[in-house]
Amino acid sequence: MTASGQPISQYDTSMPRVVSGAVLLVVALLVMLSIDVSWVAETFGFQKRVDARVPTFFIRMVFLIAVLAGAFISFTSLSYYKRNRVMLAPWLFLSIGLAFFLIYVIIPIFQSISYSFTKWNGLYDVTGTWTGEWVGFYNYRLLLEDPNFYTSLANNLLWLILFMLAIPIGLGIALFLNQTVTGIRIYKSMFFFPFVISQVVVGLIFSWAYNPEFGLLSEIWGWFFCEQKLNIVGNLTTSCSIDPPSILGEAKYATYGIIAAGLWPQIAYCMILYLTGLNNVSPDQVEAGRLDGAKGWKMLRHVILPQLRPATFIAIVVTVIGALRSFDMIATMTQGGPFGSTNVLAYYMFDQAVGEGVGRYGYGSSIATVLFFIMLIYISYFLWRMYQDEKTEH
Amino acid sequence: MFPAPIEKSTSSVQTAYKVALPVALLLWLLPLIAIFLTSIRPAVDINTGNVFGIPSEFNLIENYSAVFQQTDAWRYMVNTLIITLPTMIISVGLACLTGYALAIYKFKSALPIFFVFVAGNFVPFQILMLPVIDLSNRLDIYNTVPGLVMFHAAFQTGFCTLFMRNFMKALPFELIESARIEGVGEFRIFWHLVLPLVRPAIAALAVLIFTFIWNDFFWATVMIQDDASLPITVGVRSLNGEFVQQWQLISAASLLAAVPPVIMFFLMQKHFIAGLTLGATKG
Repeated sequence: MTASGQPISQYDTSMPRVVSGAVLLVVALLVMLSIDVSWVAETFGFQKRVDARVPTFFIRMVFLIAVLAGAFISFTSLSYYKRNRVMLAPWLFLSIGLAFFLIYVIIPIFQSISYSFTKWNGLYDVTGTWTGEWVGFYNYRLLLEDPNFYTSLANNLLWLILFMLAIPIGLGIALFLNQTVTGIRIYKSMFFFPFVISQVVVGLIFSWAYNPEFGLLSEIWGWFFCEQKLNIVGNLTTSCSIDPPSILGEAKYATYGIIAAGLWPQIAYCMILYLTGLNNVSPDQVEAGRLDGAKGWKMLRHVILPQLRPATFIAIVVTVIGALRSFDMIATMTQGGPFGSTNVLAYYMFDQAVGEGVGRYGYGSSIATVLFFIMLIYISYFLWRMYQDEKTEH
Repeated sequence: MFPAPIEKSTSSVQTAYKVALPVALLLWLLPLIAIFLTSIRPAVDINTGNVFGIPSEFNLIENYSAVFQQTDAWRYMVNTLIITLPTMIISVGLACLTGYALAIYKFKSALPIFFVFVAGNFVPFQILMLPVIDLSNRLDIYNTVPGLVMFHAAFQTGFCTLFMRNFMKALPFELIESARIEGVGEFRIFWHLVLPLVRPAIAALAVLIFTFIWNDFFWATVMIQDDASLPITVGVRSLNGEFVQQWQLISAASLLAAVPPVIMFFLMQKHFIAGLTLGATKG
């Protein structure tokens, strides 16, 4: 018997299992690598090569699972594994998820950065060779002379600053709703509504609301500046002392219009963070504060806000990330226009790289790289804070 | 409790509060209410600028069925489900495994690896876009639903791992220790002991991922060009071009696209909110 109470015999490598696992691994791997779309199309009688792509993918996945199963069977049957189980098991648990995440998320970051030093339209020639060329810092030099880049950068800054309004407004609404009257739960959920619906839908709603002819805003505008009259022929006509502005149609208003639309769901998100935070505020401290004569604003500043710090931290993180990720709304509401005035880095990159007829992979990647490094400041800050928390916990 | 409970104030303040609540809600949801009213109007109301007035005809059924008859809204919805559900299963499943490894085992690289997942979760999408297109092309799944699902599942694994790891960290570790001393295998501990305990986390992640993927627009635009496989968000956006100025139909379609996440939220509210706080504030 060993320390963990298992019979010694179980610690021996069971050779048959190791061998059968290895055989499964090798065979499945060979099959997986030899299957290709053309073969599947021919064998299963698909008319077009394109139609065979999804079936091929599923067949490959089945064999990939077999490869993994083979690897696990033989590896866990080794006596080396059995002796070091507690040390090796976490790597087995991690392997698939980590590999998947590295392939689709981490490695692409570095690939994108390397693309930014090339001139490439995303294509390969018939033999599968890359058709781009290395151009060093050429794309970055172009970037510095591109007025659209500066517009995008300025708009990103504007988004960042104005999006921060979501935090105090969210806190305000949370304080307003933090009561226990009947039906308050329904009110809280209804206030949260804008966050649940898709940004595309929010974008469409606001495009309509901003429409100067028959939108919500023009209607409200009409209450103040317009009157309806019967003209000589007897039709109802509207005349306004000041015409309603076309918010999305004018370069000087458009970005503000989109940011206002974006704030709507973001405020809801911050509100819910603060409602959860307020729920956890210690009643004793509030009572103690009351006894010391703290009320209203003073109580909020000195007793409540310090306790809401975790909520504020997350609110800042998600708001910054939301501001820098703004894409869906711009794509739905203005597509960067009028005259590129609502571009942000995220949208401009998309437009340059895969927008209609442009295909500048290298240039697009350089924009993405700039955006990534801006985001990296916040990511590092977030990780640093997490690291501090982890240290104090142990 | 802060602010002071309203029950303790004078009755006039209480009444004022009870009046203010619905008024505030009405103002807050004004865009949504207005768009709903628009979606049940006939076209003539919209052209005459009747926004808040009583619709001249109630066209609720006409407008909503027109969306289904004149467009592929139904197919877009089905496509979205085909994209959303597998993503949900794969990413939550994988995160149970990775979260378990990072929370329960004490090894040196646990924290750095955890930070890789967290950092990757926050990067801008644009830095991933071109390499992911290229990778999908080489795997022969670009412009297919599985191609999009693979990316979504991998990316969401980051967020799910962040959440799952923090949740599992709060489990009583002695339970796992004692199981180990009993000689229970590592995978059995995970399957029979830990998984039943993290059910609330699985539920929270499932609703969140459902909503995230249902509402995704960027990746669907980038990864799918084929009209037959488009999800509802992209579909609704393109309807905007098809129904030029037919706002009653555009708004009906938009509201339809919003229905499933809203239902999901109402059914699973507690889990949903627990997930959104990134597991940092409990309760």
